[in-house]
Amino acid sequence: MTRARSLCSSLLVLTLGCSSGEPPTSGGAPDHSLGPAVRRLSTAELEATAQTLLGSGTALAAALPPDARQSDYSRNVAQSVDSLLLGQLFDVSRSATETLDLGQAQYPSCARTALPADRECAGAIVNLLARTAFRRSPSALEIEQLLGLFTLGAQGSDFKSGIALVVRGLLGSPKFLYEVTLGEAAPGPNRLTNDELGSELSLLISGRPPDEALLLAASRGALASGEERERQALRLLQLPESAGLYRRFVQEWLGLIGLNGLSKSSQVISGFPALREAMISETNQFVDDVFSHQAGSVAALLAGGYSIVPEALAGFYGIQPTSPGARVNLAGLGRVGILQQASFLATFAHESESAPVLRGKAVLTRLLCLDFPKPTDLGVDIVFPAADPAATTRERFERHATDPVCRGCHATLDGVGFAFENFDAAGHLRTSESGRAIDTSGSIQLDGRELALTDSAALASALANSEQVRQCAARQVVRFAAGKSDVSVEQAFVDSLKAASAERRATFLGLFLEFVKSDWFAWRSAQ
Amino acid sequence: MIRRTSLPISRRAALTALGAGATLAALFPEARPLRAAPAPAKYFIGVYMPHGMAREFWLPKPGFQISYEGSSLAPFDDAASYGQSFRDQIVALEGLDLTAGLLASTVGHDASRVILTGSGTNGQNASIDQFLAIEQGLGQMTPLSSLVLGVGSANPALQWCISYAKGGTALPKIIDPVATFRHAFGQFLVDPDPAAVARAAREQRLGKSLLDYWTRDLAELSARSPQTERDKLDQHATALRELEKRVIGQSLTCAVPEQPQASQFPAVGSYQGGEPYFDVISNLQIDLMVQALACGVTRVSTLFLADLSRTHFDPLLPEDVHTDVAHRYAAAGREGSGGNPTSQARLARQNHYTYSKIARILQRLSEAGLLQQTVLVAMSDMGDPAKHSSRQVPTLLAGGWGGALRAGRHIDLGAEGTPSNRLLVSVQQAFGVESDSYGQSSDPSVLSGTLALT
Repeated sequence: MTRARSLCSSLLVLTLGCSSGEPPTSGGAPDHSLGPAVRRLSTAELEATAQTLLGSGTALAAALPPDARQSDYSRNVAQSVDSLLLGQLFDVSRSATETLDLGQAQYPSCARTALPADRECAGAIVNLLARTAFRRSPSALEIEQLLGLFTLGAQGSDFKSGIALVVRGLLGSPKFLYEVTLGEAAPGPNRLTNDELGSELSLLISGRPPDEALLLAASRGALASGEERERQALRLLQLPESAGLYRRFVQEWLGLIGLNGLSKSSQVISGFPALREAMISETNQFVDDVFSHQAGSVAALLAGGYSIVPEALAGFYGIQPTSPGARVNLAGLGRVGILQQASFLATFAHESESAPVLRGKAVLTRLLCLDFPKPTDLGVDIVFPAADPAATTRERFERHATDPVCRGCHATLDGVGFAFENFDAAGHLRTSESGRAIDTSGSIQLDGRELALTDSAALASALANSEQVRQCAARQVVRFAAGKSDVSVEQAFVDSLKAASAERRATFLGLFLEFVKSDWFAWRSAQ
Repeated sequence: MIRRTSLPISRRAALTALGAGATLAALFPEARPLRAAPAPAKYFIGVYMPHGMAREFWLPKPGFQISYEGSSLAPFDDAASYGQSFRDQIVALEGLDLTAGLLASTVGHDASRVILTGSGTNGQNASIDQFLAIEQGLGQMTPLSSLVLGVGSANPALQWCISYAKGGTALPKIIDPVATFRHAFGQFLVDPDPAAVARAAREQRLGKSLLDYWTRDLAELSARSPQTERDKLDQHATALRELEKRVIGQSLTCAVPEQPQASQFPAVGSYQGGEPYFDVISNLQIDLMVQALACGVTRVSTLFLADLSRTHFDPLLPEDVHTDVAHRYAAAGREGSGGNPTSQARLARQNHYTYSKIARILQRLSEAGLLQQTVLVAMSDMGDPAKHSSRQVPTLLAGGWGGALRAGRHIDLGAEGTPSNRLLVSVQQAFGVESDSYGQSSDPSVLSGTLALT
């Protein structure tokens, strides 16, 4: 029992890290930097660029293998270009370019009538396309190489075939597939190049290639300034196409991406696949609203007291359908924020019953950035509580509290998870289970204090006002941006936020802007 | 003698020769074992079995009896269903622990990662299939270095993958038989129409130019990237070489098989409506896999099988196999008594189903004359699934291993647990790799040693 407790406690401390107390550096290499990296773009990022290149949707994201993730984030430096992905990319880009329409407004007007020998027109288009694909201005040599592809493609065919081959070349180019953050080739810590800064900023904030304004700022060297990066990020964040990134960030942060890979027992709910779509839709609309109107306030996400409920979900929630996009106050139903939305509750549950351990772990690891040892590290087998039709789920799981080995971690995990017990495996509100009243009381150690909880609404309110949650949110922003977990950089960034305003620290908009402005965004350690 | 057909093969000619549902025997009438004497293994197949094992109904009875009532191994002694008994082509290996995973907190479902890598979550080494295919060159001369397949889930998370590239990244699986066909055989389909032939020739020319363009850019990027990024970029280079083989075109040692009809499986994904079709999909994936081996498309393949949840194939199993079969399993002691026999019999039914698919693999391999040169390893991520325990995982070895396996027997390595890395060492040695360790671990002692399999 003692060993279990002490190991659990030490890992909690290790994950939280310790503040160095040093002031954040400014305008130079920070004490802790991310390493230089070559990150393969996520399928969503690849698709967004392909759409920009072709002016229309492609089947790229659907055709490519799903992303390998880090901490559920699809921005993952460990992703690679394997044989299956490259082969499918090769096939999809060929079919996508067969319907290339050079009459679209994004292409120079010469493209509509150009002949195969028109290298001037081809050069203009190639320059345009390469700026998008490479996320920077191409060099003269790069243009020349691409024009070589154009000539080959147009040979014995037409102008469009030449451009189509260029697009295929770009879609398979390492310069397109990888976000390169190696920095300037100099000894010691490196500042990212102007081109790398523009590319990184655009992909992080909008998930898309840079627009002309950002490319211009990068080419002028303006992005070396943290203030200019912040200004550009704010501009990008206001673009409608950036909204998809907020949704993706929240879904990945909270693990809601797992919902599509889950099912529910027919004894719990029927028609789950259709309802699953409505659940995701609710969360997406809610996230849009919180980011649009409240700067991505962490408190609003957790305890805003409202949601935007699609018609297909209204019956499930026991409310009357409302007009599309309208806010609905659900606090009276115990649904005060994203943790009480069906998407979260159904994701962190088993097929036929609720899952206090999964829900507790989700809150503690994703919102408080705690970590827990695996039971096997403690010499404990992971044993699912035996079925008992006469007992509630809570009663079955309370064995954890009586088993001295399990109690070390489960007193923490289950104390949080039990607060959600008024929601079943699908996220449906319930007051009883197995003929017995539901008990939603729980507890949490938050900001150094032990709090008693009446239910998950009380939990959400406590989390919404927690400095520990705000710090974890900052860590999550770094983890997402870096494409990996780097505890030193995360801690350094959290420490630097002491100088930021309360609003900055309490909103995801503020956290993203602070990170983009910081030296951790702009500098990399020595190779 | 195996017939070698130079590319391009006429799709029309191939399809005319083969009717729908043609068996492998019909597909490869000339295919026979290449040598009578033992030779180094030539083909590798790794299979993932879901949700642990019911040892009680897995354990052979004295005399290596495996067809007793309830035995999960019974499909290997079922000539009526699989053309012949494979009892003398298998080994029931008992006593392996996924030790390298246990030492790295990689347990339960995540331990599927350990099966072929011999390393835990943070391992950087390739799984044995990729090690053989890429690092040892087994896949160098074939159009595909390997064929990584699955049923149900394409998710590349740890608990859904057994194949890993050097560097530790999971390799994506193909779960749609149509996609498997296109990936393995699509490049060999050529329309004999003269206009189509001209288009193909042009496409080949363009493809070569694209490859040149990408290869140059990748080399430039690799040259300025730090060592930490090298494995990743090497994998990209491997992918380019693989694509080059496809663009240039390679010879095929058989006729292209029939393309699966997508109408047979309107959905392929788990929880996406694919469950009712998993049996059809499993069979097609297996047939295509063995056809790919027999045709010389690849020599290495892995298959990640799905469980029976929501398939309703077995009316005696509940809807949710994961929760209601695996989690409810109550094991007997090693001496064979205790636990809950009903729960043991249920898990054994799931195991029996999975083994029936492996028996199908053996049947197809035998029909293609590849069985003696094949190394097949089938393993679950857990022994006792109710405990999510990666210890004492009953393991199936099959095929001739090129003479490196004396089959038709039960091997018990003992209750204390033997690191599964030793199995991987034995596998690589069956392919002539003279190394006495495999995998990565904080405790190097678990990595070395072999199993006495001959």
